[in-house]
Amino acid sequence: MNPRKDLITIDALSDEDIRTILDSTSAMKDIFTRSVKKVPALKGKSVLTLFYEPSTRTRSSFEVAAHRLSADVTTFTVSTSSVVKGESVHDTIDTLMSMKMDYIIVRHKNSGIPAVIARHCKASVINAGDGAHAHPSQAFLDAFTIKEKYGEVAGKRVVIIGDILHSRVARSTSTILRRLGAQVAYMGPGPLVPLQQHTGIPRFTNWDQIFEWKPDVIYLLRVQNERIDSPFFPAADYHAAFGVTEERLRRIDDLDLSIMHPGPVNRGVEICDAAMDYRNNLINNQVENGIAARMSILYHLTPETQSND
Amino acid sequence: MPGISEEEIGRALDAWAAHLLQTTDAQQETALAIVGIVSHGDVLAKRLVEKLAAAGCDALYGAIDITLYRDDLSFRGKRPALRSSHLPFSTDDLRLVLVDDVLSTGRTARAALEVLWEYGRPESVQLHCLADKGGRQLPIQPDYVAFDLSEAHAKEVKVSLREIDGKDEITY
Amino acid sequence: MTDTYILNATWALTNERLDLRVGHGDESTGIILNDIPLPGVTAVAPAGEMRVPAGARTIDADGKILLPALFDMHATINLEGHSKRESIYRAGQAANRGGVWGMLVMPSRGFVFDNAATLDSFAEAVSERSFATMVPAGCITEGMKGEQQAPYNTLSARGITILSDGGNMPDNLLLLYRAMKYAAEMDLTFAIRGDVPALTRNTYAHPGTTSYKLGLHSTPACAEEIGIETLIRLAADTGARLHIQTVSTAEGVDIIRRARRSGMKGLTAEVALHHLLYTHEDIGDYNTTFKTTPPLREKKDCEALLAGLKDGTIDCIVSDHTPCMPFAKKQDFISAPQGMVALDTLLPAIYTHLIKPGKLTWADVVRTCCTAPAAIVSPYDSEEDTPITAPLLLFSPDSPYEVTADTLSCGTLNNPMLGTTLSGTVTLPIN
Repeated sequence: MNPRKDLITIDALSDEDIRTILDSTSAMKDIFTRSVKKVPALKGKSVLTLFYEPSTRTRSSFEVAAHRLSADVTTFTVSTSSVVKGESVHDTIDTLMSMKMDYIIVRHKNSGIPAVIARHCKASVINAGDGAHAHPSQAFLDAFTIKEKYGEVAGKRVVIIGDILHSRVARSTSTILRRLGAQVAYMGPGPLVPLQQHTGIPRFTNWDQIFEWKPDVIYLLRVQNERIDSPFFPAADYHAAFGVTEERLRRIDDLDLSIMHPGPVNRGVEICDAAMDYRNNLINNQVENGIAARMSILYHLTPETQSND
Repeated sequence: MPGISEEEIGRALDAWAAHLLQTTDAQQETALAIVGIVSHGDVLAKRLVEKLAAAGCDALYGAIDITLYRDDLSFRGKRPALRSSHLPFSTDDLRLVLVDDVLSTGRTARAALEVLWEYGRPESVQLHCLADKGGRQLPIQPDYVAFDLSEAHAKEVKVSLREIDGKDEITY
Repeated sequence: MTDTYILNATWALTNERLDLRVGHGDESTGIILNDIPLPGVTAVAPAGEMRVPAGARTIDADGKILLPALFDMHATINLEGHSKRESIYRAGQAANRGGVWGMLVMPSRGFVFDNAATLDSFAEAVSERSFATMVPAGCITEGMKGEQQAPYNTLSARGITILSDGGNMPDNLLLLYRAMKYAAEMDLTFAIRGDVPALTRNTYAHPGTTSYKLGLHSTPACAEEIGIETLIRLAADTGARLHIQTVSTAEGVDIIRRARRSGMKGLTAEVALHHLLYTHEDIGDYNTTFKTTPPLREKKDCEALLAGLKDGTIDCIVSDHTPCMPFAKKQDFISAPQGMVALDTLLPAIYTHLIKPGKLTWADVVRTCCTAPAAIVSPYDSEEDTPITAPLLLFSPDSPYEVTADTLSCGTLNNPMLGTTLSGTVTLPIN
C-alpha cells in the first residue's frame, strides 16, 4: 500500500489499501496466540488517544493495539464539561503539535473533526468515530470478522438494522463491505433509514422483508438514545418491531445466519438474552478482531513526523 | 549472470538433510524444530522436514514472518506487507534450526532470533542458509551454508523456489 | 463641473449596440429613460443627435455595457475582530468592485440597529468611510433576541424602512404578530427568512446524498416552506408588508406564487445568488465555504428559483454577503459559521454564470438587481429630502476577472469563486 498519513473514511482508501490492511489483520491476530503478545514494530513511537466522546471499548481497543505494537500510549482526557460549544479545534491542534505525537486517535461528536485535525497535523490521524460520519476501524474489524467466518466477503449479504440515520458504523461498514463485493441492505424504523436514492442501499422496514432478502449476516446497531435530541420513534416498540426476539432467533438459527453488533449491546432492546449465546453470534470475535484490525491500521499508516531529520 | 541449477540445489538439499540427520542422531532426547523465515526460508524448511521424515526422523515445522521486527521500519515510507507466522508450538527447550534463503548483513537473522524468543526459550538455535552472500554488519555467523557465495561479491543473490517461483534456481 | 460623454456603449436593457452618448449635465435633446432613475444623467441620446461640446470629457465605452449600478438588499458587513469603520470601508470597496452602488445592511453582531444612537453613528461612519450607499435594516426585536419588539417609531424616524433580525424568524409568533400589527401603521416592511427553528436547529445540510455521506443532520425543506406560509398568513392578517428573504426551495417559490396570484399586496421575495448557482453536492468533502443558511439544495430547486425570477414571483437577486474569518471557516463543518461573501464578484458572477449561459437576460438583471430592490428599500437622502437614485456603471464583459486573495477586498476569503476566473470587470463610478 502506498504511504498514507491518515485514516478518516473508507471512501478515501483504494481497493489495494483495503486489501492490504485486511490481510495484515490476519498476521496481527497470529500474535495473540503467542506467549508474548507484543511486537516491536512501533517501538519508540507515541500514540495519543483523544476522545471527546466517552467510549471505553473503542479507546481500550486502540490502546491495546498500540501497546502490542510497542508504542507509547498517552491518554488525552477531555472532560465533557470543558468542551465549550463552538470551541475551536485549532487550539487543541496547537497543543497536540507541540507534544510531537506520531499517531492521534480521535473521537468527536461533530462529523468532520478528524479531517480538520489531520489537515493541520504531521501526525497520522485515525478517526475513531466522528458524529454520524465515519468509523473506519470498526469497518475493518467487521469486514475481517465476516471474512474469517465465511472465507470471503464477496457475495455475502449483510443487513444492517437500527438507527441508520445517526450511525457512523452503518455508513463505514456498509461502504467497506460493498467495496469488497458484499451486498448490504438497511432496515430500521422508517424515519431512521435514509432513502435508497441517497444511499444506494436497499431499504427495508420490517423483518419479513429481510428474511425474504435472504441475508447471511444480521448486523444489529446499538439504539443510541443519547445522540437523539428529540425522540424519533416510540422507543417501547423497538424490541418487538426491530429487535432480535426469541421467535426471530429461532428463524435465524434455522437459516444458520450470523449475528454481529458493534457493542455495547442493549439486551432486551436490539437483542434478546438468548441471542447472546447463539452459536453464530460473532460479537466476541468482533472485539478480538478489533484489536488486530487496529494494529494493522496503525502499522500501515505513515506519519509525517518520521522523516530522518 | 552465473547461476546454480535445479539439479545442484537438489543435491545441496540432500546434503543439508544428511547433515541434519547426522547432528540429530547424537542428541535424540530433545526435539528438533526447523523454522524457516518467510518467504523462501519457510519453503526450504518444509522440504528439509519432509526429507527428515522420509529418513524416519520427526522434526517440527515452523515459519515466521520477521517484518514487524525489522530494524528499518520507521525509515521506510511504504510498510511491507505482513504474512502470517506459523509456529503452533512453544519453543521452550527445543533444538531450533533457523532456515533462511540468503544470509547477508545478518539483520534478518537478528530479527528472527527476537521473534523466536517471543514463543519461548529454546535450548539452542542454529542458523542455516541456502546461500551466504557475505557483507555481514552484525556478529552473526551461520552454522551451515549450502552455497558460499561470499567470495563472488555479488550485488544481488536471487533465490527462486518451485513452490513460489515455479523453478529452483539461484542467480547472482 | 465638466460634462462627461460616454461614447459607443451598449445599453444593457436592449443588449444592442446603440452607439450611445450619455451626457452628464444639462442636455435638452436627449431621450429620457423613464424606467431607470439615473442620478446626474438627464439624457441618453443616439449618436449624431447630440453634440459633444468642445472641451467636454469623453469616455470611449466601445465594447462595454452601460447599465444602472446594482442595489443589494441583503448584506451583512460585520468583520469579526475588526472595527465597525473597517467593516464599512471593506464592504463599500467590495460593493464597488462587484457593481453595487448601495446595499441594505442587515443588523448583526457589531451592528445592532435597534436604537437611535447606533443608527446615527453608523450613518456618520458610512458617510466618512464608505464607497457605497448603506441603508441599515432595523431590528425586529431588541438585540435580535426575539424577546421584546424594538422601538419602531424611533427607527422609522431615522429613515428605517425595513425591519429584520438578520434573517432569523422569531420563535415567538405572538410577538411577531403583534410587531407586524404595530409596524404596519408605519409602512415598515418585514424582511424575514421562512423557517421553523425547531425543525432546523442543529441541522447543517439539505437532506440528500451529501448529508448522508458526511453524516450531517439535515434541514428539511418543509421547515422553510411552513415558515414562508406562516409569514404570509401573518402579514395578510396584520396588513404588514413582507419581504421573504433567501427563498431556497421550489415549493417555497410556489407558495409565494400562489399568494401573489391570489392578489396579496405588499409581498416581495428574494433569492441569494448562491442558491441559483450551487447545490448541496458542492459541499464535497466538508467544504465550509458552501455552508449556508438555508442550505444549498438541489438542481431542481435552482431551476425553480430561476423560473420564479423570470416570472416575477421573486423580485430580486441578493448577495447574502456574509464575511467569515478564515480562522472560523477552517473549523469543522458543524462548528464553522454559515455564509459566503459575494459583493466583490456580484455582477461578474451574474454575468458569467447566468447571463452568458442564457439563463437570464440583461433586462432580467436590471429588473432584479437594480430596479426592484431599490424600489423595495427606497433609499432616501434625508438631508436633501430626495430619494437616492442609482448611478451608472460600465461593464467590460470581455475583461477577465481573476478572483484571488489579493483581488478580494471585502476582508475575508469565503467566496466560492476564489481561484476561478470570471468574465467581466466593473467600472463604478464611471468617471
